[in-house]
Amino acid sequence: MNTSACAAPRGKTFWDRVKQQKVLILMTIPFLVHVIIFRYVPIWGWLMAFQNYWPGKSILQQTWVGLENFKLLFDDPVFYQVLRNTLAMSVIKLAMGTVSSIILALMLNEVRIMWFKKSVQTISYLPHFISWVVAANLVRDALSTDGGIINEVLMRLHIIKQPIMFLGIPALFWWIIGVSHVWKEVGWGAIIYLAAIAAIDPTLYESAMIDGAGRLKQMWYITLPSIRPTISVLLIMNLGWVLSAGFEQQYLLQNGRVIDYARVFTIYELDYGIKMMRYSFATAVGIFRSVVSLILVFSANQLAKRWGQERLV
Amino acid sequence: MKRRGFWFLPLLLILLLSGTVFAQEFKEFTVFTGEPLPDYPGSTIVGDIIERETGVKLIREALVGDLETKVGLMIASGDYPDLVVAAHFTSLLKDAGALLPLNDLIEEHAPNLKRLYANHWDMLTQEDGNVYWLPIQAIPYGPDTSRYPSLAFFMNKRVLKEAGWPVIKTLDEYFGLIADYMAKHPTIDGEPTIGYITLFDGWRSFATTNVPQHLMGYPNEGEFVPVMQQGRYVVTEYHTSPTAKAYYKKLNDMYNKGVVDPETFILNYDQYIEKLSSGRVLGTFNQFWQMQEAQNYLLRDKPESIFVPLPIVIDPLVEERQRDIPYVQPTQGMGITIKCKDPVGAIKFLDYLIKEDTQRLLQWGILGEHYEVDENGLYYRTPEQLELFRDPDWVQNVFGRHYFFNAFPSLRGVDENGNMFFPDTQPHLIYSDSTDSEKEVMDAYGVKSFSDLFNEPIFKKYFPLWTITMPAGSAAHIEETRMKDVLNRYVPELVMSSPEQFDAIWENYVKDIKPLMVEQMKVYQEGIDWRMENW
Repeated sequence: MNTSACAAPRGKTFWDRVKQQKVLILMTIPFLVHVIIFRYVPIWGWLMAFQNYWPGKSILQQTWVGLENFKLLFDDPVFYQVLRNTLAMSVIKLAMGTVSSIILALMLNEVRIMWFKKSVQTISYLPHFISWVVAANLVRDALSTDGGIINEVLMRLHIIKQPIMFLGIPALFWWIIGVSHVWKEVGWGAIIYLAAIAAIDPTLYESAMIDGAGRLKQMWYITLPSIRPTISVLLIMNLGWVLSAGFEQQYLLQNGRVIDYARVFTIYELDYGIKMMRYSFATAVGIFRSVVSLILVFSANQLAKRWGQERLV
Repeated sequence: MKRRGFWFLPLLLILLLSGTVFAQEFKEFTVFTGEPLPDYPGSTIVGDIIERETGVKLIREALVGDLETKVGLMIASGDYPDLVVAAHFTSLLKDAGALLPLNDLIEEHAPNLKRLYANHWDMLTQEDGNVYWLPIQAIPYGPDTSRYPSLAFFMNKRVLKEAGWPVIKTLDEYFGLIADYMAKHPTIDGEPTIGYITLFDGWRSFATTNVPQHLMGYPNEGEFVPVMQQGRYVVTEYHTSPTAKAYYKKLNDMYNKGVVDPETFILNYDQYIEKLSSGRVLGTFNQFWQMQEAQNYLLRDKPESIFVPLPIVIDPLVEERQRDIPYVQPTQGMGITIKCKDPVGAIKFLDYLIKEDTQRLLQWGILGEHYEVDENGLYYRTPEQLELFRDPDWVQNVFGRHYFFNAFPSLRGVDENGNMFFPDTQPHLIYSDSTDSEKEVMDAYGVKSFSDLFNEPIFKKYFPLWTITMPAGSAAHIEETRMKDVLNRYVPELVMSSPEQFDAIWENYVKDIKPLMVEQMKVYQEGIDWRMENW
């Protein structure tokens, strides 16, 4: 049945094609329903942004305030600080995370001793499964000035004389977020690239070897170009998250000293929105984020198209 | 095939039967308590008695993370437990229509609650004439005095002992003593000595920012203090007062001399308690309940390093009145939500919990096993019984008091026959039940209780200011959040900057924080005036 569906001549009517692909269509329906229920229906909640929402009343009984909440948002000096922090930390995390995962995948791919490869892979992706609540405490302890391992090592090596209070230096906060993100996610991120590498035709390597390419040259001219589509699709998808930048990580690692650099949109929505029962305001912030994310994804997609890369839609 | 089926049948029957028996025997209520508490161990001494006598099993959810967040999400989702305690945010639940009015329920089904909360009924009645929640620690017959004051500058006992038990009054003397000791003893038990640490983790940072009012002699009022002026309490700010400046200046000085722990502003609460419990911290300011856990561990494991509360003010001329008279917090407590399917059962359960016998069981235990009665009818504990109750792990996990006392309606103060509900406050026992380490300090200062190191508290009808809440989402509420932001940002900077920069940072701080107090002070002033008139 399947073969006949595939072999059917093109140019038939719409309903003929529906009939031919009915099995496929049936299989997609559950996912479609899922997306509609969980991704599209909640968008009605956006109405809250134009109201002064108070819980316990139905959405139509609320007072309407027009663009008041957006005006409050764009008038708030904290907003611009938050925008800067979110963008900076997202870009740092995206760049460091992607590059480190690719490098790890490339290196793991070259390891020939199986048990070593397996154990490195397992060890490097284990932190992914620790919740940030625990991980943040590990990071705090490691960075402590009172016997934290990083300061101890640096002092034993005589690189520094006094312990450095890493978490208390505003300029360092973004980078601590970046590095701890790499520590936690590098192994997990590498798995996708390893899978992409595994799909490369081995004859490519063989012919490269015959042409006299060493390991490094093989990596550069065969492995990397072959996984380029994977990299660009993942990058485009991740751009959609640029205005999210995580929540638990910043929330749990922040302190008063670095608050100007630590507050991201999610924390802002919490502190100035949900915690104060300003649900409408929080929704307005959420809408702003969604709209900007949408623009980012589509423009990245256009760019990828222009450069002749793999793209999303 | 057939034989196997027969073989399983009796087993299945037994399982089914036991299941139904269980379901008949116990009523279940879900309860959210707005504070972190480990999971219920399943069986505790008091817990088992309560379950047996009431037939109620509680399904508990304790706080993880921020209470504001949790309450906000609860309201947004409409997903409430049967019983809820939301501390400072209780009124938000009421405004959202999540709480049931309790008046009729109590009138019909809860004679004990009615009798024991009678004193506080006016305070608890909201504008619509209903009562929606029951605060913890009602005081039906009269107040008591605790062994420890509710807040203080605490100092490591070893410092006082070595200095020959000096009487110190001012911030300068306090830090002078600590700095001296630290210079002489750079390490304690092989680890570096920590001169002073201050708690600055999230919402708990008031342990640092509230201090100026106490240095001015006030008990804990919150972010502002009502000052008596021509017969009226006028809400006054202290965050930019000369006392605040002197306090931060002192911390700055001590920080630059290495007395203040360099990482004090980035510690979270767990790390703070861990450091205090290590016995190598010489001083900290806090409300006692925020460091009690550490003190309990010190009493058990490092009695030479326990913390002694001291009445410290900014200037010897300031009149110290830091202690407070036990008060009921009328703005928070346990409520029954609209999602509760059996409000009558719930109120009956609370009525059972509040009655004197249950409270005595929770606090004192079982007569003959956990406490004794002397010839005057006064309760006491034998040394062995005392030893048991000194172990915080035992009290929590084996005895189980915390699981029915914290957050639940309870009683404090003196009971109907002259005993105290809290064993710790039994007047003739405060001294004799103290540990040897505590007695040594009390003897040295000639007092019978650490509270006696402080002046008698003054009664104020409105007390305290901080139980007045800002209307959710109002201008005053936004101002409050912004003000706390400013404090969060500037206080670490004030303390950790070089001494030359201090004045410049202070000026910026004052400039930024001043405009963020106006609306709040209006709301507080109205609240105070209302209380003075109506309570």
